[in-house]
Amino acid sequence: MKLNLIGLLFGIAFGGVLAASNLHEYDTIHAMLRLDEFDVFWFMASAIAVSAPLLWLLERRRIHTPFGGELALSRSKPEKHHVQGGALFGVGWAIAGTCPAPALVMVSSGALLGLVAIPGIFLGLHLRERQTKTVGHVGDGEHRETVVVPG
Amino acid sequence: MFDLLPDRLAWYVGGPVLGLLIVGLFAIANQPLGASGAYVQTSGLLRRMPDVVTWRVWYFVGMFVGGVLVTQVLREGAEIRSGYDALRNVFPLWAVVPLVFGGATLLGYGAAVAGGCTSGHGMCGTAQRSPASLTVTATFMATAVLTTLALRIVTGGDL
Repeated sequence: MKLNLIGLLFGIAFGGVLAASNLHEYDTIHAMLRLDEFDVFWFMASAIAVSAPLLWLLERRRIHTPFGGELALSRSKPEKHHVQGGALFGVGWAIAGTCPAPALVMVSSGALLGLVAIPGIFLGLHLRERQTKTVGHVGDGEHRETVVVPG
Repeated sequence: MFDLLPDRLAWYVGGPVLGLLIVGLFAIANQPLGASGAYVQTSGLLRRMPDVVTWRVWYFVGMFVGGVLVTQVLREGAEIRSGYDALRNVFPLWAVVPLVFGGATLLGYGAAVAGGCTSGHGMCGTAQRSPASLTVTATFMATAVLTTLALRIVTGGDL
């Protein structure tokens, strides 16, 4: 299916950019969170600075996306679970020095401890699924692919 | 293999390219360029769950392949190593393994509770100007910096 190919290509490009920027290295993330080096903050800020106005424009023009209907951006209100989840995520991020996408690239780059981080991420996501008895509930920021199964 | 890329791409190149990728996936599929959802779908596939979003699994594979392409093909080729140099300078390997595993479990759980991670909330969510994503991002940035500070104090400034 075409969407699978698009997914693969976007994955390659995303992983490639993270790798080229060395975001898969514990030392890069650690130096950022120690506030020794601001490159990663600028990296994130410039990604947002480029995408935010373009998304705003595309949304205003009500563009029709080939695979997802009319572009609909999400603007959910903050709830308690956003603060709780964010707080836990930050602590784990600081200790493990990686997050879901860079952990995959870490293994690509030959760093074997990435093979310890990835199962940990899977386990953490799974523990929440068991707790809430839902599967596929985590979206990417905005719960777009919610699949709830009973039991 | 080819040594075509610098050791580290400057943020003012990588960041804007990532920004364009975010816009691209929204424009094509009306979907955020997030990573934790890809883990959820991949784990669903491995456990033979129904209703798996297969393109997210291909996307998961793609992130790994993109990493191989850059670190092994376009660069000289990274060697097999443990990684986590700064952490390993402070702790022995028997302590590093549970630290990494525990931290990763915590961040996975937190991402599930928050509904996204650094990419889904931190970049795609803030780019959509979502108040929920801004809240998540501000919270995880704060706790991450504070945790790093705490680790630094506990290790007497070594980490």
